[in-house]
Amino acid sequence: MTDKSASRAPAKDLAPAPAPAVAASPGRSGEGTAWLLITPGVIWMTLFLVAPILMIVYVSFWTQTTFAINPTPTLDSWRDFFTSSTYLNSLWTTVRIWLIVLAATLLVGYPAALFIGIFVRSRNLSIALLIICVIPFWTSFLIRVLAWRPMLGREGAINILLQKFGITSAPIDVLLFSQLSVIIGMTQIYVVFMVGPIAFMLSRIDRNVLEAARDLGAGFGRIFTRIILPLSLPGVVVGSIFVSVMVLGEFATSAALSGRQVNLLGNIIVTQVGSLKWAFASVVGVVLTVIIGIVIAMLLRVVDLKREL
Amino acid sequence: MSDASPVLRLEGVVKRYGDVPALDGVSLAVQGNEYVSLLGPSGSGKTTLLRVIAGFEVPDAGRVHFNGHDVTGQPPHERGIGFVFQNFALFPNMSVLQNVTYGLINADKGAVSPAEAERRALAMLEMVGLSGLEGRSTDQISGGQKQRVALARTLVKGPKLVLLDEPLGALDANLRARMRNELRSIRQELGVTFLHVTGSETEALAMGDRVAVLDRGRVLQIGAPDTVYHAPETPNVARFLNRYNLFAGTIPAQGQFAGPFGTVSTPPARPADEALYGIRFDRMIVEPENPAAPAPALHATFRASEYLGSSVVSFFEGEDGRIVETEHHMSMGAPPEFLTGQRYTLRWDPDHAIVFGQSAAG
Repeated sequence: MTDKSASRAPAKDLAPAPAPAVAASPGRSGEGTAWLLITPGVIWMTLFLVAPILMIVYVSFWTQTTFAINPTPTLDSWRDFFTSSTYLNSLWTTVRIWLIVLAATLLVGYPAALFIGIFVRSRNLSIALLIICVIPFWTSFLIRVLAWRPMLGREGAINILLQKFGITSAPIDVLLFSQLSVIIGMTQIYVVFMVGPIAFMLSRIDRNVLEAARDLGAGFGRIFTRIILPLSLPGVVVGSIFVSVMVLGEFATSAALSGRQVNLLGNIIVTQVGSLKWAFASVVGVVLTVIIGIVIAMLLRVVDLKREL
Repeated sequence: MSDASPVLRLEGVVKRYGDVPALDGVSLAVQGNEYVSLLGPSGSGKTTLLRVIAGFEVPDAGRVHFNGHDVTGQPPHERGIGFVFQNFALFPNMSVLQNVTYGLINADKGAVSPAEAERRALAMLEMVGLSGLEGRSTDQISGGQKQRVALARTLVKGPKLVLLDEPLGALDANLRARMRNELRSIRQELGVTFLHVTGSETEALAMGDRVAVLDRGRVLQIGAPDTVYHAPETPNVARFLNRYNLFAGTIPAQGQFAGPFGTVSTPPARPADEALYGIRFDRMIVEPENPAAPAPALHATFRASEYLGSSVVSFFEGEDGRIVETEHHMSMGAPPEFLTGQRYTLRWDPDHAIVFGQSAAG
């Protein structure tokens, strides 16, 4: 449906163009261009997204034996997943970690975005600050994750500092190889995806609107709750979608920082694929995809992005 | 008509951006229940002045007194001065009604209950002629209606002083004329003071009980519109009025002016740095070319004319290449026909001239 309207619009624009070449076949050349533009994307997505997803769904119903797999349809893998407490726990852990990291990125990211988008008056400075937020991405994902070990470990920087200043007498063990370290690591990596969209929405708020609110007698608190926050919600939703999609599919951070204490659905997929359990890995993949779909659908209900953007 | 003490008093207000003074010692007193229009070209500091009065900017020097109190350091939300923005600055996430109740419900001081706020807001919306549009969102109403919402939102708070920053600038021409009348009648009904900033001399003259002319951060003149119009005190006021032909020349002796039109006797000169002779467009008389005409007589070539409905403005090019304008009011009869490229002699009654400068003799 969208393809159709997208191809119509340029055709209409081209129709009154004075160039004779275009005027000779006004509709066709415009429509042809539009199809040409969308074709590579459609081919790519069909081959490498739609087809594999359909394949994963299909494989999840295959019959798995210890070292082989055959396409005889069965519900065994699905039954295994939903009857095993290990896997259901992992499902719950994934949802829990996602919710905590989502809240943490919001808690850390929103004030930062508020500072960048509203309180920094210079456009150049706010862009510079956003670039600074992206600096961690100049190093590889693995290094970023592993760098937390010398930071959070028993002999790590944080414990040394805490003891040096006499805040704690013994090193805190829970900092590394725990759920906490996974949350810290993920929040640090993904918070920038929250800051960006929110700062963008905030920077679009007309300064005069905020001044008008002040002039009408409202202090910052009332201006924030009634004007700034509602106007930034689309940014919060877009940021939340980014963070959710990435956190729900995560496995590397928990593998590197949890010391096997946190098993996310992503970690299970890695393990199952490693032991060639394709059918079971497909079940987990489908479950994860469905969860992500539900989360995105729920987030999109919060605001009408079509209207707000 | 006006209270004894001014509602707003500015004392030597200075505001600099870097080294550039936006306001260079502005002193101004505005009475209660008065419509003051503030005329200034772009860059004259008029918006900065409003922002200092509202409290969005803190002056580098000088004091702002409002309602008998020094409010110089007070934040805007504690001042109780209304501000209507040029772009209206409506709250985009709220309905028309919510826009108007916002300031009543959310004020830090003197907030009212939502029910009372709604009652007052509905009354105010009726007054500005927006009944029935309460539930609309702000992108479902026209420019003129947005203007009224912005006005209602400010007026419903009952401010003693409302600052309007080029309030008609964003409206199209016929709406502008209608809103002029409405602004005046709404102001009269509520008895509040309006300080209206504009770059349009017709708007300033039409709307203000008094007109203040601002240039390069200074108030050049403040007075009744007809006083400012008939008797501009400085050359720049005459320039901004856009109704005077101004000729450079010399003042050979007190009561005399030598310009491109000859040497004539004049009314006494107003002190100014430059010697200028001003004569209003509608005082000009166009005659067939007559090289022997006695001064003042300006020989010029007709270039073009502009039909304005109630009058016709004609453009002549003087011998020095400068454009001279004449205005013929339709009430004086049908306008004369001029031939493009034809030479004419422009004359006027020298008693109507305004002269600025100091006599060369000292």
